[in-house]
Amino acid sequence: MAESKEEVEVLVQRVVKDISSAFKRHPNIDEIGLIQCPEARYNRSPIVLVENKLGVESWCVKFLLPYVHNKLLFYRQRKHWLDSEALVDITCTLLLLNPDFTTAWNVRKELVQCGVLNPERDLYLSKLALTKFPKSPETWIHRRWVLQHILHQFSAVVHKTQQQVEAELLSNHRDRLIHQEMKVCSDAACRYPSNYNAWSHRIWVLQHMAMGNIKVFHDELSSVHLWVSMHVSDHSGFHYRQFLLKELITELSQSPSSASASTIFCSSQHQSSIVPRSIPQANGELPLADSASGDRLTTVLELFYQETELCSDLIQSFPGHETLWSHRRHVYYLWHQWKKDHLPCSDGRESKLKLLGASDLGGIKQTCVSQGESVERNRHVSGPMEVDGASLPDHDSKRLRRGILLPCLLTLQNEHIFVNSILNSCSNPEQKNFALAYKNWLDTVISVQI
Amino acid sequence: MSAQLKDVIIKPDASSSLLLDKHADYIAAYGSKKDDYEYTLSEYLRMSGIYWGLTVMDLMGQLQRMNQQEIIDFIKACQHECGGISASIGHDPHLLYTLSAVQILCLYDSLDAIDVDKVVVYVKGLQQEDGSFAGDKWGEIDTRFSFCAVATLALLGKMDAINVDKAVEFVLSCMNFDGGFGCRPGSESHAGQIYCCTGFLSLTGQLHQLNADLLGWWLCERQLPSGGLNGRPEKLPDVCYSWWVLASLKIIGRIHWIDKAKLRRFILACQDEETGGFADRPGDMVDPFHTLFGVAGLSLLGDEQIKPVNPVLCMPEDVLQRVGLQPDLLS
Repeated sequence: MAESKEEVEVLVQRVVKDISSAFKRHPNIDEIGLIQCPEARYNRSPIVLVENKLGVESWCVKFLLPYVHNKLLFYRQRKHWLDSEALVDITCTLLLLNPDFTTAWNVRKELVQCGVLNPERDLYLSKLALTKFPKSPETWIHRRWVLQHILHQFSAVVHKTQQQVEAELLSNHRDRLIHQEMKVCSDAACRYPSNYNAWSHRIWVLQHMAMGNIKVFHDELSSVHLWVSMHVSDHSGFHYRQFLLKELITELSQSPSSASASTIFCSSQHQSSIVPRSIPQANGELPLADSASGDRLTTVLELFYQETELCSDLIQSFPGHETLWSHRRHVYYLWHQWKKDHLPCSDGRESKLKLLGASDLGGIKQTCVSQGESVERNRHVSGPMEVDGASLPDHDSKRLRRGILLPCLLTLQNEHIFVNSILNSCSNPEQKNFALAYKNWLDTVISVQI
Repeated sequence: MSAQLKDVIIKPDASSSLLLDKHADYIAAYGSKKDDYEYTLSEYLRMSGIYWGLTVMDLMGQLQRMNQQEIIDFIKACQHECGGISASIGHDPHLLYTLSAVQILCLYDSLDAIDVDKVVVYVKGLQQEDGSFAGDKWGEIDTRFSFCAVATLALLGKMDAINVDKAVEFVLSCMNFDGGFGCRPGSESHAGQIYCCTGFLSLTGQLHQLNADLLGWWLCERQLPSGGLNGRPEKLPDVCYSWWVLASLKIIGRIHWIDKAKLRRFILACQDEETGGFADRPGDMVDPFHTLFGVAGLSLLGDEQIKPVNPVLCMPEDVLQRVGLQPDLLS
């Protein structure tokens, strides 16, 4: 084992070179890791590559890290010169071992800025660092910087060129980038539960690269449906759904001229995943698929319905999860706010939307009824759309002609019925506590706002 | 199928008395024992590490055991031409470490060791058009940095250097339906971010903008049966989150909403009786970060062996009196 200063230097230079050539020879490395190995065995490199996984034997890290760390700091203090190639190699090794070393990422930012380093390479390096350190705040911060750098480059190109082809290429590139970010976030979320940095990065990406793009938001809502169902303790994952829901609803509730709802559902690929499992479908499709006609209000109501349905299912299937109850609060709150803004109630009491178009409801109303157990059955009989004390404008009424079951699901009264059914049927003490807290929240927070 | 509640069980033989001497010895010896590898791993946050160690020593009345001159020289060497201060020599300046450095200098009543005017210029330069603050010249935005900016300026008595109204507007745009705050608009509520945002609103005199009952509700729900507090739903209790939640409750005048005796028991159980220091949870490895927040938490809970701590700046109250700063608290 290397001990003297000279020996360490030789060893470290060899390892840094091995890492850099491993990346050159194997551009598909997709994960990094530490191989527990306290002593050097045989006379071979501590860098091991197996099936696109790059491993570093742990015995060399205690030599490697201080050496590359100090070398970079000497460079930063202008005590030691390094050319750009050496800087790229050293920071790569450093950041794979210690990705929260902010200054090393900053050195790479400077290299990107002066055109020496391709920003895509840093998206790759940071992606690899996240396979071992999925929370690392500085890695996520660097990713955001790189993405912004690329976006600025895009806008510079767009200003210069009027070419349609060029613009399309950029748009495709942007779509690829968004897709890649979603994948990186998803992987990091799987590696560490309630990964705040991963999920808030995901939100950032949508805010900076896809705002107003209803299709992207909707695809995201579909794509995390299964994920949250399998990670019922992951509060950050559910918060992400809340973010998506809120943005979609805000967007869909704006005037139709500002965006087109018909663009949302033009592709059919996601439909199967957004259809609530428990709804029998007479015609094989949800009314949602019909929103190509621009029926935004219907879509909003369905989003609320589906989210509440998902939440009820999960609360009943996985008792005792605070995350699920917290999600319910959010969905109900969002509905409550939306209803206040968009379905105003002149007498200030709870809106009791009555459904119309019962003939279109098919099995949906049954689900709705079973949900609330004793929901008044006359809620979904045919009749004009009505909000207690206030009628909807005529055109909205027409939009709702296909009938949405949501109001019978999301009344305050039904929330109480739901909670009571849990309290009466469940023996899990945590579930009971969360149900009581929810009831208390409805009584205190929601009731005072009505 | 039933979920197992995410919490810890405090063993009957867990520490139940405060081992102040052990903690002071642990901090005093920290740093001298570390090897190259460990030192380099955490050097990127060295300045904050020093702030944690010195503050807890001061709260325990042991600040004189630390090497004042060495630390002040170190801070001087970390100030850059732009005015910002870095975590260590050769690292890049950042608001996080600028605040830590200013806090340390206040403990030592030695603000004149650095160029204060340049610090103000640095902080001011990081404010964005929307009122938010970048952490450094590379532009990352986070409500933590809004707190760092106003805390630094408040300690320097230079709050008027920035656009406070815009700064407040940005922080309020990060408020969520549950009364809490996240790192940016639309982000999940998180106890650490809530601490920063309530602290920010305290320092800017805007606590009335909070929905204190709603936020207090969310904060109280962080207390688990063990008595410890977590930072978000279904996370494990942790001494540092215990501080952030507790300090936020103190700022909004709702500290009596949680079970103080149980929290005290949890924090005491996180001590290492042999080495001194506090860990995140009972039985884990201790570190200076959790040691500060353990001791500071006990101070907020009223332990008279420790100096009173200020909940907004996590510094001894007597230091803030000397500086002439009294951040608002709701009653």
